[in-house]
Amino acid sequence: MKIRVDRLAFSYEAFTLCVPSLTFADAKVTAVVGPNGAGKSTLLKCLAAVHPPPKGTVFVNGQDLSALPGKSRARLVGYVPQEPAFTFNYAVLGFVLTGRAAFIPALASPGRHDLEAAREALRFVGLDGFEERPFFELSSGERRLVLIARTLAQQSEILLLDEPTTFLDPRHESEIMELVRRLAVEKGKTVVVTLHALDMAVKYADEMVFLKGGAVVAAGPPLQVLDERLLRAVYDIDMGLVDVGGRRLIVR
Amino acid sequence: MRGRRNRKSAAAFVLAAILPVVLLVLSLNIGAYRIPPKAVWSTIIDAVVPGGTAEASPYADILFRIRLPRLLLALFAGAALAVSGASLQAIFRNPLVFEFSLGISYGAAFGAAMSLVFLGRKVPPQAAAFVFAIAAVLAVLLIAGKAASQIVTILLSGVIVSALFQALLSLVELFANPYALQSLIFWLMGSLGQATWDDLALTLPVIGVGVTALILLRWRLNVLSLGDDEARALGVDVRREKMLVIGLAALTTASATAVTGVISWIGLIVPHLVRMAVGADNRKVVPLSAAAGASLLLVADDIVRTAASFEIPIGILTSVVGIPLFIVLLKRSGKVWL
Repeated sequence: MKIRVDRLAFSYEAFTLCVPSLTFADAKVTAVVGPNGAGKSTLLKCLAAVHPPPKGTVFVNGQDLSALPGKSRARLVGYVPQEPAFTFNYAVLGFVLTGRAAFIPALASPGRHDLEAAREALRFVGLDGFEERPFFELSSGERRLVLIARTLAQQSEILLLDEPTTFLDPRHESEIMELVRRLAVEKGKTVVVTLHALDMAVKYADEMVFLKGGAVVAAGPPLQVLDERLLRAVYDIDMGLVDVGGRRLIVR
Repeated sequence: MRGRRNRKSAAAFVLAAILPVVLLVLSLNIGAYRIPPKAVWSTIIDAVVPGGTAEASPYADILFRIRLPRLLLALFAGAALAVSGASLQAIFRNPLVFEFSLGISYGAAFGAAMSLVFLGRKVPPQAAAFVFAIAAVLAVLLIAGKAASQIVTILLSGVIVSALFQALLSLVELFANPYALQSLIFWLMGSLGQATWDDLALTLPVIGVGVTALILLRWRLNVLSLGDDEARALGVDVRREKMLVIGLAALTTASATAVTGVISWIGLIVPHLVRMAVGADNRKVVPLSAAAGASLLLVADDIVRTAASFEIPIGILTSVVGIPLFIVLLKRSGKVWL
């Protein structure tokens, strides 16, 4: 599903995110990058309608997201937060099941169909056998996978992932990004992911969006938009680009 | 590990179904007036089986007019307090929140006292208790504002509002006549002994409905316990459902408090004990808390009825036992069973 952002504006305190127009391609991975405080997470939350934007509209397949009731919205858009602080130590399966909230009436509990969806999601992220493990006993990488599995159980066509690779070692970082690619390629999901690791964005994303100070500086396929002048403009330090064997590497 | 945990939960649910009933029957045998166990049984059988023995048991009045309403009140009030506590802990994402820390208990006590002292029960104490319980919890939410999910803020707001209602309660005591004052003070310390069928006719159905609704909401509590942003992203109307849970918790607690007086700590201790046994999933915690709270309050009431030659107010017993337990829990908090 395609996302189109129209004249979006969101401010809190001294910060303003302002996106006049932006589209996210169907069944592709779009990486949103930029320095700390550029508005990456804010943009994601506006797309998820967790924070309704004071101005502007987010269209999903032509439909105004903020006009939809919560349940319908959750079936279109799934949101994976940065590692959140949970109070209660649920088992992994119970946690993934909360992704089914949009399908289950308030006074009911998950049924067999919901359990299947949750187990299937855990299998897809490679965590079968983790059903009864307490969430707090998982490693940081495993927790990210559980969060992604929950959003898969939600069965939304759009997945928004907020910095899923932060604090992970290179191996787990690659594993998460491989999974993100599979979501788009195998499942046909439209994925928007915020990242700090530019090399990951270049390697795994179909499109990149560069944010700085709450504004979009550049957007497009990595190899088309990425150059040294842009990096300098966005991050205020000098980085070099080297093309080796068909890949573009960033050197500092 | 999975098998062990499932077996443990299954055993807990079987126990939860049987224990309150067994305790109820056993408790009928306990009381200031000694009735031979054989007579208790034959009286019960007479009442349950139509046309058992022809002659009416001389003990029927004591058993069914004095003991049974009291025991039923203990079961229902215990379930109400424990289930409210478990539900509030989930939606505030805060294992230290319960009816007291949200001002519900003293709000309800103030409302019921107003009805008893000034209105001569023209407004049912249950209704007055509910109105002020809701007023108290809304005040706490208003004071805590946006930081309501933070432990310190909510506890502090609760302390302030509870203190206010305690002061207002003292004011009611000041204006009460000596006779009303005596019964007011005894009621405030917590007692199940004043239960009559007339009181229970209103209280038990309301508690029954409230507890049942919270038990039905048990899985939703898991979703709400993840935090407002998360629950919203999962498609939940967070504001509406949280208010529903708070309203039900206030309703059940206020209905119980209006008859029993202030009984503390059940709402905090019971859900924690249950979580230690079966884990944090509210699909288990909420229904098991109902059974455990009911059983615990019934046993506590058996103790206060029989331990001394006079009746110890049950609120004092639950505090004396509950506070040390609370300290132990506080020391252990941060462990996985939270």
